[in-house]
Amino acid sequence: MLILTRRPGERVVIGDDVLVTVMEISGQTVRLGIAAPGGVPIFREEIWLAVKEENRAAAQADAGALPEGTTSPAASDAAGEGAQRPS
Amino acid sequence: MSMTIESSRFGTLHFEDEAVIEFPLGLIGLGGTHYGLIDRNPNSGFLWLHCLDDPTLALPVVDPRLFFPSFSLQLGAEDCELVGVEDPMSAALFVTVRARPRPEEITVNLRAPIVVWEGRGHQLLNSAPNAELQAPLFAMVGEGAQPVVDAA
Repeated sequence: MLILTRRPGERVVIGDDVLVTVMEISGQTVRLGIAAPGGVPIFREEIWLAVKEENRAAAQADAGALPEGTTSPAASDAAGEGAQRPS
Repeated sequence: MSMTIESSRFGTLHFEDEAVIEFPLGLIGLGGTHYGLIDRNPNSGFLWLHCLDDPTLALPVVDPRLFFPSFSLQLGAEDCELVGVEDPMSAALFVTVRARPRPEEITVNLRAPIVVWEGRGHQLLNSAPNAELQAPLFAMVGEGAQPVVDAA
């Protein structure tokens, strides 16, 4: 891991197009400003980890893991036009 | 050009070109940039978002608006720009389902919905205050599990 010392107002450049600015330091808190190209996702780590865990847990489900026929007929429209239905 | 995959769960699946959803950034923490929706059990509300790059990767999803009438989606301006939609509620929306043996224990992730617009999908953070990471899909009513409210 690269460890750098920065002061408020100073920046770190990652690659050619990601800029991390130390905005403010207050006690135990550091405010960072991050400028990255559109499409580069930026998350707080704990949120990224939690969503990743939800996605992975969802992907563990077996084909028969879901209850059947639990909602109103309106649910059948949820698939939109592209969804593949059993023939 | 269409795509046929041998799903580990569902056997042979065929997707027409227009049914393929491109996920330029994949799903958070998961691989795959092309997915298709499968409706195995019409009227259940559950769909499967199946990865076309990995035959073993599929996630059950629901449209949150069918189960949570008060569902709201608040995206940052940059995310709206990324999706290319002015009003994200006019896009197709899905949330991942965490299946559990008892229906009342099934939860969905309202915090990170999947927004599909014009053939492209993005999983984004929802900053709406009631967007829980693990929202129970069904409320307990008497002995059995029921939808919170039927979709209108």
